[in-house]
Amino acid sequence: MGSRAGATLLISRANRIRTKLQSALEATVLEVEDVSYQHAGHAGVKDNPNNETHFNLKIVSGKFDGQTLVKRHRMVYELLADELDSGLHAVSIQAKTPKEIGGSG
Amino acid sequence: MATINSSLHNLLSLPSFSSQNAPIFSLILQSKPSFTSLSTSFSHSIKSKPLCRNVVVSALSKIADSEFIGFPDGISGVFPAEAGVYAVYDENSEVQFIGISRNIAASVSTHRKSVPELCSSVKVGVVEEPDRTALTQAWKSWMEEHIAVTGKIPPGNETGNTTWVRQTPKKKPDLKLTPGRHVQLTVPLEQLIDRLVKENKVVAFIKGSRSAPLCGFSQKVVGILESEGADYETVDVLDEEYNGGLRETLKKYSNWPTFPQVFVNGDLVGGCDILSSMHEKGELASMLK
Repeated sequence: MGSRAGATLLISRANRIRTKLQSALEATVLEVEDVSYQHAGHAGVKDNPNNETHFNLKIVSGKFDGQTLVKRHRMVYELLADELDSGLHAVSIQAKTPKEIGGSG
Repeated sequence: MATINSSLHNLLSLPSFSSQNAPIFSLILQSKPSFTSLSTSFSHSIKSKPLCRNVVVSALSKIADSEFIGFPDGISGVFPAEAGVYAVYDENSEVQFIGISRNIAASVSTHRKSVPELCSSVKVGVVEEPDRTALTQAWKSWMEEHIAVTGKIPPGNETGNTTWVRQTPKKKPDLKLTPGRHVQLTVPLEQLIDRLVKENKVVAFIKGSRSAPLCGFSQKVVGILESEGADYETVDVLDEEYNGGLRETLKKYSNWPTFPQVFVNGDLVGGCDILSSMHEKGELASMLK
């Protein structure tokens, strides 16, 4: 039962990413995959002890409707700005709308 | 040991073939330059070497047993898009050049485009499991056969003849944003970036150089641009000497936090994911034209 700050530290980056994206984008599909192991040893990764540096994100959200790919990616990047500033190195993003995946959303 | 099979094709008629409708295969030719040295370095001395074609390339057909393939109009499917050895004949059925390629169809099309007057028909021997040794052996075997029969080297294989060797365009150097870190900039870096992406149609900001990208995503972007045959510039964001401060400034300029970043006509197209997706959907080609 640590302090709130302590608890935040213990939550993995993956979980923080998931929470941030889920609440802002109301994603109908949200997959967060930590692929940092593929980049171990790569510059910028070695210094990061927690090593949650690379993620694959698959997001389906109605909020992407009518947005270009660049804008969709920017929306995601903006939500993850804190993470990018604190050691998140790269994310691979698949940003689709419910219509594009042909689902009912 | 590699197994080699010959591929025989029927003789076809030779309709006229203008360079306009010649297929372009810039992408698949990439592996070729590594072999051109074989043909250019070939000299008369090989005549005295013992023939060894029956050892390694026993299944490869001899030139004499292979059939002529002509050039149909704009159809590339006639020649195998496979690795092997090929002999190009002029209209007098004289061998002009014997070459090897990772993609015979592509190489032959390129020859036809660059020297149509010397390309009348072609004989082809496909090499299966084409490692370098097998290809070299196949080439040697055809050269030796040709020399044994005619007593001469095909003109295109003479040392110093560059007609058939792809004039490898030198890889462009990476662009440098500044003259070097010791030089005080008179304009803000942001303005240099702005000018650079507006003055060049396609610019990729990558980690590492275009010939040796240091990150998988940058490598993929370079690969995509190469395969699209794009005329593009690269800037190495890790080059502290000439592009110091670029990473942070570019992130703000483009409002994009990661690299690589690709600009077309001054606008950010995206990073590796977007480029890959556009490439797969075939949307990139029209944009890069």
